[in-house]
Amino acid sequence: MLQINNLSVSYDSVQAVNQISFTAQKGRITTVIGANGAGKTTLLRTISGLIAPKSGTISWSGREIQGMRPENIVRAGIAQAPEGHSVIAELTVEENIRMGALFRLRTNRADVRAAISESYELFPRLEERKSQKAGTLSGGERQMLAISRALVSRPELLLLDEPSLGLAPLIVEQIIDTVSILCREKGLTVLLVEQNANTALAIADHGVLLALGKVVADMPAAQLRADESLRAAYLGY
Amino acid sequence: MQTFLNALFTGGSRGAIYALVALGLVLVWRGAGLINFAQMGQAMFSAYVASTLIAQGYNYWIAFFVALIVGAALGAAIDILVIRPLKKKSGTAILGSPSMRDAIPVIASLGILGILQSVAGMIWAGSERGFPAPVSTVALKVGGNTMPFTYFDLFTIGIVILILIATSLFLARTSVGLAMRASALNSEVARLSGIRTRSIRTLGWVISGAVASVAGLLVTPATNISPNSLDLILIIGFTACVIGGLDSLLGSVIGGFLLGFVIAFISVYDIPEDIFIAIFLILMGIMFFRPQGLFGSEVGRRV
Repeated sequence: MLQINNLSVSYDSVQAVNQISFTAQKGRITTVIGANGAGKTTLLRTISGLIAPKSGTISWSGREIQGMRPENIVRAGIAQAPEGHSVIAELTVEENIRMGALFRLRTNRADVRAAISESYELFPRLEERKSQKAGTLSGGERQMLAISRALVSRPELLLLDEPSLGLAPLIVEQIIDTVSILCREKGLTVLLVEQNANTALAIADHGVLLALGKVVADMPAAQLRADESLRAAYLGY
Repeated sequence: MQTFLNALFTGGSRGAIYALVALGLVLVWRGAGLINFAQMGQAMFSAYVASTLIAQGYNYWIAFFVALIVGAALGAAIDILVIRPLKKKSGTAILGSPSMRDAIPVIASLGILGILQSVAGMIWAGSERGFPAPVSTVALKVGGNTMPFTYFDLFTIGIVILILIATSLFLARTSVGLAMRASALNSEVARLSGIRTRSIRTLGWVISGAVASVAGLLVTPATNISPNSLDLILIIGFTACVIGGLDSLLGSVIGGFLLGFVIAFISVYDIPEDIFIAIFLILMGIMFFRPQGLFGSEVGRRV
């Protein structure tokens, strides 16, 4: 279980996240939705340790993790597929995937190999392109690669930052389906940040709506999806 | 013909030294994104240590390995004591401005070079010294003919090729090498993947320091060591890695050999005063027609 408690984050003297609290249940998909600039990406970057919070706590399985280094957050079982389908363009597809498992190589070499072939089963297109440079991939393939890289670290919590951004609807559906299968079948906890509220709420169990760095709604996804006044006020449709 | 062969082999063995210097610079560039001008300070320092040990009667190879460790330790010390703290101090106007952020560690490395040179001057009283080469520096004889090169020339060239192959394989084939490339290319994604980028960067400094020490040790039998004796080699080595393309190990080595040949041929067939004009012209030519260097990757290629 991921618990965010009164979390505030500011940078460049702008309060990006203001006193937010919510919980992401184990084995469920929780989505954080909101317009551009609502603080969604800042929230994810704070959870994965790239930004230090100003105040508040983030606890994961009962352990406070705020302010820890990103490389140690990964070791605590939290992996992020960052915004913009971030992969390293100059490295090959396989190198990008292996990168996510390097820290486990010394302790569990066999499982690293298993994790890499699992991600190829999940996304066969990556296996076809495994010795290609990641820079040659399409946007959708890059997103698959970013997710695979996160998965080979065997996370318990997967953080996804705008996986649908700039992708064709069919690809978005494929990626989202894969994520929800992972969650249902393997008990992975997912925190999905999305601007595309419809897609996200359709697969999520729980929804958190952010506006200008504050939580304005925190309720079951189906309920949030049905609430037309909230949607009209904060999502603009 | 004899003159030509002479120039060829002199160029080869001098070029090997420039190649090593360039290789060391590329290793830090790829790991930390800066040109480490202190590198020849590290090399000079470890050559002095080796020369002291040899003067006290230690075996050459013991001195050689101690010098490698000294060079590597200096590399780690520079990163941990100077470069890391500088990175943290981004709050001030000068250190925080984007144009200065990349320049300041380079300026710091020049400062470290100055410090290493003065400390060496204080310890060893600025005296020039040298030590013998590990293998013969007398011209080789094959079937009664005197060859235009020595065992030591071959030894130097061999070591450079060995180090090029070893560092290339290390970067391309090992997990730590992958971690090094990933941290240099995109440290944020690397950290999100669980790579300890700070330690990995320090490792780059360590390897580069050891490579620089080898350069210092190989050049000392030819030119005695003094606190400033490697300055010129640093400048030529730096030019070599710019010619080769800052991020290419192979390119830097080829650039080193190229300059070695140019310098040797000019000093044989022309007057030595023209050497720097030639180097400058080559550098300008590369900058104009192939700014990424002979083997460098183009910037902005990202899709």
